[in-house]
Amino acid sequence: MSSTSQKHKDFVAEPMGEKPVGALAGIGDALGGRLEEKGFDKAYVVLGQFLVLKKDEELFRDWLKDTCRANVKQQGDCYGCLKEWCDAFL
Amino acid sequence: MSLSEKSDEEISKLLAEYGIKHGPIVDSTRKLYERKLEVAMENAPVEPSSDKTYYREEAEEITYITYSPVRQESDVLKRRGNIEPDEDEESDQETEAPVQIANRTANHSAVRSRELDRKSGGSVWKVIRLLLLAVLAAALYYAYCRVLKNEENPFNIQ
Repeated sequence: MSSTSQKHKDFVAEPMGEKPVGALAGIGDALGGRLEEKGFDKAYVVLGQFLVLKKDEELFRDWLKDTCRANVKQQGDCYGCLKEWCDAFL
Repeated sequence: MSLSEKSDEEISKLLAEYGIKHGPIVDSTRKLYERKLEVAMENAPVEPSSDKTYYREEAEEITYITYSPVRQESDVLKRRGNIEPDEDEESDQETEAPVQIANRTANHSAVRSRELDRKSGGSVWKVIRLLLLAVLAAALYYAYCRVLKNEENPFNIQ
């Protein structure tokens, strides 16, 4: 397993509150912009989608790919970030 | 009917049929599941719960019933005529006859199945084949009895 980024560590360290979607690991400016266009402007909205997909990795990855054209690495980073956050706080 | 016209429940049922793990069908997940179903349907076009099951045996057994049985019956009659006089050649000819009949059906069905659309003539052809086999068995038994009769006489003379 690859080591997690600083962004990942920052995100999973505390409740996400009103953090923007760009605070998620794997979600940079481009992906963040596409997600905001679709209405996913806050991290907790993406969290909502993650939970509605029953925290399933394959479904969430597919959804990310369809929604903001995330590549495999970005999908994995975002999934891992949300999963760890849920393990800690949900 | 396109997937987008189906209700959420129907989508949920289809996902379960194709074995796709899924959550609730809501606005934000609907398109994702429709796309997944489209891919699954392309890979497995026959729906698992469909009543129209397609048996490959039926397709391969398609034959024209009109002329082929007539030809084969006349061949069987010819074989029967040849069986009676010779003792040694009997077994060869008897084994030849069923083999030839089987080959003909295979050839017919192989040719026909490529040319024709699927029809349900297979069951009728099966009945005819069974009848022919019964006739052949009766002929063999009759011939066998005659052979036994012929063999008994030389022993009695002694």
